[in-house]
Amino acid sequence: MKDSNNAGWIFVLPAVLVLGLVGLIPLITVINYSFFEIFILDARFWVGSEWYNEVIGSDRFWASFGRSALFSALILTIQIPLGIAVALCIPRRQFWVGIALAVVALPLLVPWNMIPSLWLSLLNPETGILGRLFPMTGWPPDWKLSVPHTWAVIIAMDVWHWTSLVVILCYSALTTIPASYYQAAAIDGAGPWQVFLFIQLPKLYHVLLMAILLRFMDSFMIYTEAFPINAGGPGGATMFLAVDLGEEIKAFNYGPSAARSVLYFLIVLTVAWTFTKAQGKLDGGQAP
Amino acid sequence: MNRMFRYLATLKIVWLLAFMVFVSLPLIQMTLISFVATLSHPDADVGSLTVRNYSEILIDPKLRAAFGNSIAYVLINICITVPVAIPAAYAFSRMSFLGDKHLFLAFIAFRITPPVVLTLPIFQLFSSLGIVNSVFGIALAHCLFNLPISIWILQGFISAIPKEMDETAFLDGYTHPRFIWQFLLPQIAPGIAVTAFFCFMFSWVEVVFARILTTTNGKPISMAINALFGFQTDIGLVMAVTVASMVPGAVLLFAMRSHLSRGFKIGQV
Repeated sequence: MKDSNNAGWIFVLPAVLVLGLVGLIPLITVINYSFFEIFILDARFWVGSEWYNEVIGSDRFWASFGRSALFSALILTIQIPLGIAVALCIPRRQFWVGIALAVVALPLLVPWNMIPSLWLSLLNPETGILGRLFPMTGWPPDWKLSVPHTWAVIIAMDVWHWTSLVVILCYSALTTIPASYYQAAAIDGAGPWQVFLFIQLPKLYHVLLMAILLRFMDSFMIYTEAFPINAGGPGGATMFLAVDLGEEIKAFNYGPSAARSVLYFLIVLTVAWTFTKAQGKLDGGQAP
Repeated sequence: MNRMFRYLATLKIVWLLAFMVFVSLPLIQMTLISFVATLSHPDADVGSLTVRNYSEILIDPKLRAAFGNSIAYVLINICITVPVAIPAAYAFSRMSFLGDKHLFLAFIAFRITPPVVLTLPIFQLFSSLGIVNSVFGIALAHCLFNLPISIWILQGFISAIPKEMDETAFLDGYTHPRFIWQFLLPQIAPGIAVTAFFCFMFSWVEVVFARILTTTNGKPISMAINALFGFQTDIGLVMAVTVASMVPGAVLLFAMRSHLSRGFKIGQV
């Protein structure tokens, strides 16, 4: 049991100050802007909730919302099982563990703005390793005109980029299982599936929750990587929520972009709240 | 049953190798292009094999400066994040205080806030503080996502240490700060290394804050790569810079492999 001690605030104070500066103050600024019409920052007038009505009332917002939700759903259904599967396959011997982890984690080290370029050059019909295989596989060389193909490329790219994080998190949780658990399972004659279901999976719950949170939010708000693949096309079929916001900011629409930012932050807050609730439930269920 | 496990072991290796091939494909492509001259130069024809792209990195002062900037802001970020995160992680792990759950929720919310939401006000705030176009600005902005994740990771490590250790130290008359410095830090040293590595990993490759905070000066590697794109892009050079940018991370990753593989627990509040 933890001590009840309000001196805890002294310990968290530095963190609160730093996050207050880089998080809370900008957030309050955005909330403030979202209620004004702003041409230049010194001249503004109150418009109330007009920007919010405009964003929420637009089909474009809901279309992007739907696309982002679908994208996140696909990403989670691929990355989480794949990450668990790969983590389970990492060998037990120390030497190979190091090699396997190092190779698997390499995509996390690529600068984000280069990830679309890497995939475009991989798919280049003349010079790319995969691109030159196009004629054999029936993949159309003009895949950029096709919605399913563009989606497939963006999903493959994200799976490539981020499954490693799920693998590292799951693997780190798996190593905390004492060897005696496995021995006990072997004595009881448990098969691999039972070992997974009753020994490994329960140990993974906490990291999986974290992995789902991070992967859901980062894919829902995918920005840097998605746009350069096909400029949001074909026909806006890969315009996601954060890309819309980025376009508004580039156009210096202070008011509408601020309203959008506030709406996105409300989504973030809802997700974070759901997450802490789920975490609380998990702890409640595990308490002896 | 034994045969089943043996088949499974083979299947696991095949599966892992397949995934590693998938992971390597774009990286192999990148490395191949980085050794090819993609624009004609006096000493290399288009399409010929060359190490010119790599020597260009050493010669070009802008690219050299970019590597310096990236290393500088990541180090500054770690130097802010880790000392601030350790006491906070200790408090979340050991104490229950008024509003602790809500505070943790707020921290998580800031971690998952997409940077693009806060770009505009952060740019304004930082320009009024006079830290745009400097490595310090990026380092501070990246605390937005690195600080919550650091607190989270460290909190797991601290919770793994038996509470009796704290109590014995306090009975011996140690104060909280002295206890953290003399007892806790040596115990969670691997945790600090893992935390610093994650800070490095998330900060080194981030581009949204890096882009808006460095319009004229202090450009990190990712932005130096962006500047290479133009009417005639030397894609070989672009790929060579990317390969070079991954080297420090790969070295760290290899050095950290035993810590990463020994496992770290990510706990709850």
